[in-house]
Amino acid sequence: MNPRFTLRLLARESRGARGRMLFFVACLALGVGAVTGVSALVSAVRTGLASESRQLLAADLKVDSRAPLPEELDELIASLEPLAVAGTVELATMLAAPPKGDQTTGSSRLVELKAAGAGYPFYGELETKPAGLRPDQLAADEVLAASELCAALDLQTGDELQIGGQGYRLAGQLLFEPDRLKFGLSLGPRVFLSTEGLARTNLLDFGSRVTYARLIKLPEWTTERGLEQWQKALQPREGGNARRKVQTHRQAQPNVERSLRNVERYLGLVALLSLLLGGVGVAQVVRVWIEERTQAVAVQRSLGLRPGEILQLYLIHVLLLAGFASLLGCLFGWLLPLVAARIAPEFISTEAALAAPWPILVRGLGLGLSIAMLFALGPLTAIYKVSPVLVLRSEAAPLEIPRWMRWLTALLLLLGIFASAWVQADSAKVGAVFSAGLLLLVLLLVLGARLAIWIATHLPRQSLGLYLRNGLSCLARPGAGTTATIVALGLGVHVIAALLLVETRLSRELRDGLPSDAPSLFLIDVQPDQWDGLQDLLARYEAQHTSSTPVIMARLAQIDGRPVRELAEERKEDKGRASWVLTREQRLTWSRDLPATNKLTQGAWFKDDGIPEVSLEQRFAKDLGASIGTRLTFDLQGVPVEFVVSSLREVDWVSFSINFFLVVEPGSLEGAPFSYLASARVAPSKEQALQDDLVAGFRNVTLLRLGPMLEKIAGVLERIATGVRVLGWIAVGAGLAILAGAISAGGLRRRREVALQKTLGMTRAGVVMLLAVEYAMIGLVAGLCGTLAAYALAWGFLEQQLKLAHELNWWLLPIFVLGSALLATTCGLLSSLRTLATRPAASLRA
Amino acid sequence: MQTAVPQIQCQAVSHSLRSGQQDLQILDQIDFEIERGEFVAVVGPSGSGKSTLLGILAGLERPKQGSVRFDGMALEQASEDQLALWRRKHVGFVFQNFQLLGNLSARENILLPLELIGMQNAGQRADELLADVGLAQRGHHYPSQLSGGEQQRVALARAFGHGPEVLFADEPTGNLDLETGAQALDLLLRLREAQGTTLVLVTHDASLAEKAGRRLRLVGGRLVHDSSKQDTNA
Repeated sequence: MNPRFTLRLLARESRGARGRMLFFVACLALGVGAVTGVSALVSAVRTGLASESRQLLAADLKVDSRAPLPEELDELIASLEPLAVAGTVELATMLAAPPKGDQTTGSSRLVELKAAGAGYPFYGELETKPAGLRPDQLAADEVLAASELCAALDLQTGDELQIGGQGYRLAGQLLFEPDRLKFGLSLGPRVFLSTEGLARTNLLDFGSRVTYARLIKLPEWTTERGLEQWQKALQPREGGNARRKVQTHRQAQPNVERSLRNVERYLGLVALLSLLLGGVGVAQVVRVWIEERTQAVAVQRSLGLRPGEILQLYLIHVLLLAGFASLLGCLFGWLLPLVAARIAPEFISTEAALAAPWPILVRGLGLGLSIAMLFALGPLTAIYKVSPVLVLRSEAAPLEIPRWMRWLTALLLLLGIFASAWVQADSAKVGAVFSAGLLLLVLLLVLGARLAIWIATHLPRQSLGLYLRNGLSCLARPGAGTTATIVALGLGVHVIAALLLVETRLSRELRDGLPSDAPSLFLIDVQPDQWDGLQDLLARYEAQHTSSTPVIMARLAQIDGRPVRELAEERKEDKGRASWVLTREQRLTWSRDLPATNKLTQGAWFKDDGIPEVSLEQRFAKDLGASIGTRLTFDLQGVPVEFVVSSLREVDWVSFSINFFLVVEPGSLEGAPFSYLASARVAPSKEQALQDDLVAGFRNVTLLRLGPMLEKIAGVLERIATGVRVLGWIAVGAGLAILAGAISAGGLRRRREVALQKTLGMTRAGVVMLLAVEYAMIGLVAGLCGTLAAYALAWGFLEQQLKLAHELNWWLLPIFVLGSALLATTCGLLSSLRTLATRPAASLRA
Repeated sequence: MQTAVPQIQCQAVSHSLRSGQQDLQILDQIDFEIERGEFVAVVGPSGSGKSTLLGILAGLERPKQGSVRFDGMALEQASEDQLALWRRKHVGFVFQNFQLLGNLSARENILLPLELIGMQNAGQRADELLADVGLAQRGHHYPSQLSGGEQQRVALARAFGHGPEVLFADEPTGNLDLETGAQALDLLLRLREAQGTTLVLVTHDASLAEKAGRRLRLVGGRLVHDSSKQDTNA
């Protein structure tokens, strides 16, 4: 066939297919919209971060370290002639407000303290009230506090605050800090002071976790290559003792980037589910389309059109429709960040939202086209079954579809789903797990649907009454598309139900799931000579389960003689394994006995054989690439100490007891400076008073309260859950669109049936009841299968992955099943309005 | 001396259909030949296998046994694609229920086979055909907007448009009233006459069959009478 003729045939074939096209487009556009929307949203956040990258670092280049930066570094920086340099020091500590009313000690909070030198920030503006306050211009006894802290402690400008045992006057409020993420997790609100102000405290003298940094401003014309050269020049020398991180503004917020990638991956896969459901919808529309066109195909074949030519014709048709639907979906996806920018401007700026992410739109278009073609191919091969002899005899037997074609379409579909998941997750492994899980779920839903159809067929229906009997028989009606509808709707219900089950269980765990003997607070940086006094203080507040563990900070230097820097470089190439476990600061403790909440999984506890041994938490060991017998060399303030891995442990993290990845043999770190990490359980009503007393008496000790931290984590969880929930509802929407599509596609047959039923004396209300029972049945089966599969998934995830006792909410089961039935019935009846309006006279013309 | 090969050779054709657990014999050892330009009527009672025979002769269906040759080419050995291309070039159809494509206008229905063979000026030819069948003003109408007689005239124009060598007609007047049926038949015969097309026509109608030059009578799937032969196969 020549192209012009093909196009003409195509245009003619499109006539009178508005309803079909509408559902085809709706199904696919919804899925493509979800996929591109998620990616566009993440891209907009990323674009925003990139455009503000200098602001996020407040500089072009940042050098930071847990140890004070040496003078040589400052000399080196100066020799490279930057435009400007500013120093910052950050640490978490406690702040006490002035006593109010009859209080003897003021209220206290854990805050993130930051001292900044002149010039900070080089990029972006500190917004303060009153305006124009800068940390370096503060007097040595003045501080700037975040507005949320002022609100929480009812602070007024001029109030006297206590930090690290020194008094400070509140000079003003901090409204905005450019290099602090608005949506990150932090230990507490920000408090600024000058370098001289920080020097007044002796917080730096204790073992506090302090970060020292130099912010460097470079000329505006510095290229990326120039930045890299700077970075290279400031990196510590190979084999040297210096430990510091040098990052350019382009690498700012690697944690955020990692989180964004994870969010994009997981939300992207849920979105892909909507697109695959769209594919099921496409398959169903095409199946009914070909069924309706069977006679026309027979005529075309009798006139001399080859089956391959007819297939080609319909394929191009599908391609054009899919192209239009995908473009529509892309438009929706592109608009999503704009809507998000209006709703939550703190996450996304309008400029970032407007930046059209072309690769994402192209990928969305590609995914939409591929999924539509892959799902349409199977139903389209039915063209081969149409015998041309149908033009003479309506009961002509269908022809055989070539065997190779059946296998090829099935194989292409499976490969296509895997490839889409791979593209979407950017990981072949995740793609394979997703595809396998989906296949399993679809099989379960298909089995459920088949079972329901079997029951509907074999159940003695005589005693069931007119409506139930007819409703059940409709499930088993040939060509009703019951299986596809149940699979699609069931998948949507599954996503929503699984999410809700996991989310409610996790929220409960975070909010009130603490074991009765779990600590409620942790005390960090307790010096050995402070421990007795601190125990007395804790006893005054009737603290229970008080315990302390020695902690030594060290860096891993070598694994089996290979420098970790070399190993970390190799890890950078391997996306599946993180390099940060190698390079971060490690906390070591020692213990004679295996901690109560630990279980040995490999090896044996320490032997007194003269070789220093270390026990590793099993997942940490896996991340490290270590096993029994591996030699780990630590750098302990310049002194190398070697340990042999002698055992691996499983840790019950949910107990919230103090636990460590690394436990070394007692005596192996003799003489090394250490601090205590302590924990205790105190009644929530006494926590604040204890914290206030602690600030007054133990100014270097940082107190972490578990309750507020868990609240924060629950808040973040809630935000992620909202995203998944929205996508889950899109999946349910796709399922309902498929149901509506199936109803509309079989509209002609239904109208004939309804006309006949009315002719036989059934009222309109009676017909509504008949249809309602049928749709409710579909919803019930889909809801039951989808929800049961969700319970299985939630159990697997909570029990096997998170090791949480599953305690699932079984009362949600009837709610989901009935909710699904109600949705399906409502959507089904709304889609049948035209059918319901059919007049009895139509039966005469049928 | 060179012997001309008959245009259609039907050799020992048998056909059966599966009905439940058993095979139902539809055609049994049918043998005949049709010469180029002949007008053959296939008659017989309902269920005698007339339409099945027509389908087999037109390459729409393959016989279970025997062979059908068109100008020496064995149809049962040709692939689906080869059969489609053969029908496209050499065959025209007229059906009892017209079989017009509902989504195409009358003119587009006529255009389809012309475009399939890549005819130059297909549009002009379609307009001529519409005029020939008296529907010059109705070309833009869809089948549902035409009467039965008009639909059959469109079907005739579509069947003859590409100049087929053989035309298969299945009860072409079966769905029409007497007068309209007679008009459609006149048109069919006029077009056949003009193009010298071989016509194989299946009908119940004795008066229609009388117009054929030759009659084949089927009963219970067997050819019981061929008017071109002296003897009758009982």
